[in-house]
Amino acid sequence: MRFLRTLRMPAGFILLLAFSSAHADEPKPTTENTIHVQLPAPVTPQKFARPIHFFVPEVIDRSGNAQPTLVLREKGGVFLDRPPAQIAREAISQSLKAADLLAPDAASAELVLQVYLFHFGLAHGSGLDFFGKVDFAVTVKNLKTGESQQIQASGTSIAGLAVRKKNIQKNVQANIEAALEDAVRNLLRGTQLKEAIAALTKDSASARGVPVLMETAFFAIENRNRQQTLRKLYEEVT
Amino acid sequence: MRFLALALVGLLSLPAAASVKESEPQFKTIEAKHFTRAEGVELSPQFTDYLYAELRSELAKTKMFAQVIGEGEAVEDADAARSLVIEGMITEYKSGNVAKAVIIGFGAGMRSMKINATVKRRSDQVNLASVNVHIKISPRWREEIMAKAAAHDIAGEVKKALKQLAKNP
Repeated sequence: MRFLRTLRMPAGFILLLAFSSAHADEPKPTTENTIHVQLPAPVTPQKFARPIHFFVPEVIDRSGNAQPTLVLREKGGVFLDRPPAQIAREAISQSLKAADLLAPDAASAELVLQVYLFHFGLAHGSGLDFFGKVDFAVTVKNLKTGESQQIQASGTSIAGLAVRKKNIQKNVQANIEAALEDAVRNLLRGTQLKEAIAALTKDSASARGVPVLMETAFFAIENRNRQQTLRKLYEEVT
Repeated sequence: MRFLALALVGLLSLPAAASVKESEPQFKTIEAKHFTRAEGVELSPQFTDYLYAELRSELAKTKMFAQVIGEGEAVEDADAARSLVIEGMITEYKSGNVAKAVIIGFGAGMRSMKINATVKRRSDQVNLASVNVHIKISPRWREEIMAKAAAHDIAGEVKKALKQLAKNP
């Protein structure tokens, strides 16, 4: 009995020590371990057939990360100063605004880009370097017709490891910024966006006018008024 | 005397001008695509992403391309003739055996991977280079280290093949 009582003391002490050490390992955001991530320069979007204005509403974070601002747990942790969803939205909006393609609100926009963020920050790498990854899916929606299309964009970056805490923060920041820039470029200069825009903003003449004319011509040919109808069609098209 | 000094300056600037010309990238862009996997290749889902990132990083280091663009990015029509696309397939992967590697050694039980990659010209899809890479690492190392080694080898082989092509078009 005395033996059990003597054993209880050290066991409790060990448990307390284990709990306190586990608690101490959990990094907390401070001014020293917080980084500011933004695009180094706005990404120039691809040229579209005609200028289109986009609106980017709040980005939805689908990463399932309980601590989205924590990008690195080791060495006291590295935190982002804003949530990743906000950073992603700012980056896309900033690039569109620089190219004069950003609408101030959804009502004045031709297309709405609803961004879903799936990954933002560091990913599982070789351990010999930092592997930055930004992944998002975008729903391009035409508010007038209600039609939408899904596209995907991703950005990656590799940066060297560092030993000193200050250099780690610097490398992590540069790595995430490069991955973010890559993802925004992949979105705005991607063929997927071009195709989605082409499908969602079909010109009324090409969407309705020409098929109607072709249909008319088809029936007219069936009715053996070929020359007359084709001349009429030619005049209407030209 | 002044003439001599001018001639000397001119002679000294010649190699510098030549090195500037040499450092100009041979191609405008190269688009790296995610490598596909043959049936039976069992690697983690993030492996392909890491290989893609490493490959882009290694291709940028070759200094043969003005820009290494991401998958699915558009290229100006004027640049298409001087733009390339690299795609490939992981044809074989063996996870290795630690016991064999320790007891037998001499390359037995090594973790290995085979990749076939092709480089095509963007404008006409002409095949410019085919690269086959076989990587072997210790089974105790992470598979991402294998991706790093593979990306390094592929970029090196691509550089060699494109330089060879430039010499003998």
